[in-house]
Amino acid sequence: MNYVLHLLIMICIYSILSLSLNLLVGYTGLLSLCHAAFYGIGAYVSALLMTKLGLNFFLALPVSVIISMLLSLLVAYPSLRFKGDYFILTALSFQIIIFSVLHNCAGFTGGPYGIPGIPKPHLFGFEFNSLPLFLLLSVILASLVFFVIYRISSSPFGRVLKAIREDELATLALGKKVAGFKIQAFMISGGIAAIAGGLYAGYITYIDPTSFTLDESIFILAIILVGGSGNIKGPIVGTVFMIILPEILKFLGIPDTIAPNVRQMIYGALLVLMMFIRQQGIAGEYKFE
Amino acid sequence: MNISLSKQNNKKEKQLDTTSKDSRKSCILELKDVTKRFDGLIAVENASLVFSKGKITGLIGPNGAGKTTLFNLITGFLKPDTGTICFNNYTIDGLPPWRIAQLGIGKLFQDVRIFHKLTVLENVLLARKEQPGEKPFISLFRRRRAIDVEKMNIDEARNWIKFVELGEREDSLAEDLSYGQQKLLVIARLLAGGFEVLLLDEPTAGVNPRMIKSVLDVIKRMAQAGKTLVVIEHNMSVIAEISDWVYFMDDGKVITFGKPQEILEDPEVRKAYLGV
Repeated sequence: MNYVLHLLIMICIYSILSLSLNLLVGYTGLLSLCHAAFYGIGAYVSALLMTKLGLNFFLALPVSVIISMLLSLLVAYPSLRFKGDYFILTALSFQIIIFSVLHNCAGFTGGPYGIPGIPKPHLFGFEFNSLPLFLLLSVILASLVFFVIYRISSSPFGRVLKAIREDELATLALGKKVAGFKIQAFMISGGIAAIAGGLYAGYITYIDPTSFTLDESIFILAIILVGGSGNIKGPIVGTVFMIILPEILKFLGIPDTIAPNVRQMIYGALLVLMMFIRQQGIAGEYKFE
Repeated sequence: MNISLSKQNNKKEKQLDTTSKDSRKSCILELKDVTKRFDGLIAVENASLVFSKGKITGLIGPNGAGKTTLFNLITGFLKPDTGTICFNNYTIDGLPPWRIAQLGIGKLFQDVRIFHKLTVLENVLLARKEQPGEKPFISLFRRRRAIDVEKMNIDEARNWIKFVELGEREDSLAEDLSYGQQKLLVIARLLAGGFEVLLLDEPTAGVNPRMIKSVLDVIKRMAQAGKTLVVIEHNMSVIAEISDWVYFMDDGKVITFGKPQEILEDPEVRKAYLGV
């Protein structure tokens, strides 16, 4: 039972990540490879505020969101200059820089040892210390994120983002300040990813840089590519699929020593397969070309 | 110099919006001695053109004459090396493309540039200027306002879709339309944007003959509605049929201009264009 609850909590966390990344990838057409960096920023800022300053989770989380939004400008501004492949490299370098900072600023972030002893979230003396209660908190936060993303993406704002994805020059020629829209998309996406980070820190109570690597960014992107981008269903379908799939593999009796490798192989094969048979993902509407 | 002028302009934008309604001056868009070079190649050289309100001006010339470059200079996608571009008596060269579009100059791209994965209605809606819902904060927290304006915009967009006779295709994806219909869609998009000046780059190219008539009808009706149109066109019968005034360009220079009949019979034009 605990195992199922754990999976559901992870599905909530990754739904938040994939929904927010979809705003950039599926709506704006920016193949961003640094989402785990914002996830990490959220986790570390919340964890540091809680452990070093003794701040409550529910105060630390909004602060981490704001900081992540501000740091997202570091990728947003270069993205206005660099298009296509060059943008992918820009995002990639941001991912690597953030990882290096987390890994090497040992005095501040604990370096490779990470931050242990992060308190569980509590509100008015009520502590989310059991799995069902934490699941409740995760579901509430994930639903809130779903609601926010739904409203934003179905609004005229979301429509402009899609137009930018389809044709940036034509969008400019209609009088839309494309740069401004891209920057807002980055800030919203980065800010929401930080919520997932804070939630993860409060759940696991211990974080280290290995949770926020390039592999993690690729995994979040793979969720969107498999599930589908450009609408709100795709990321959810992708998250459920990609979280449950490796768990099913566990029951196949593959020895533990090779299980992680087999998992990577299956992810890779799955991505190649999707590119052949269904480029827009299981439930998506936008194809990468 | 130009840039400082346009910066002053920025401050005067509000003024400009109000004065433009009162000013009934016939000249709405004017280019003075505009030159643009690309690495030694002169694309446009000392071009001076004037476009009048409510008129259709044809822009003709062989390939590479600098016609499309001229459009890109007007819309801000390129910046002129020298010369000035005035719109409603304000200098607009040096302003970014989105700003020039907001001021009221719209362009039909040669390669239509529709938003493929969006519906016909969404394509047209995007052109509407006043959209509070384009601010994420408003669409999250002040939805009432966003929804009210969106309803008005949808009505307006539907009218323009009907105007170009695409009413039945409103919910189709733009990519599912025929090429001719896509041109009509882009025209509806320009109309919904409320642009005062419309620059049409080969509106009938690649459109089947039956559809050309619809496109030309729409163009004429736009001029009657008081819009200023500039049309780049290779089809001489189209130019003869719709334009009030014609500029002939070759090698980046304006060679001659005048009424369409005069220009089309000009021996120099015939030589450069038709090789006769």
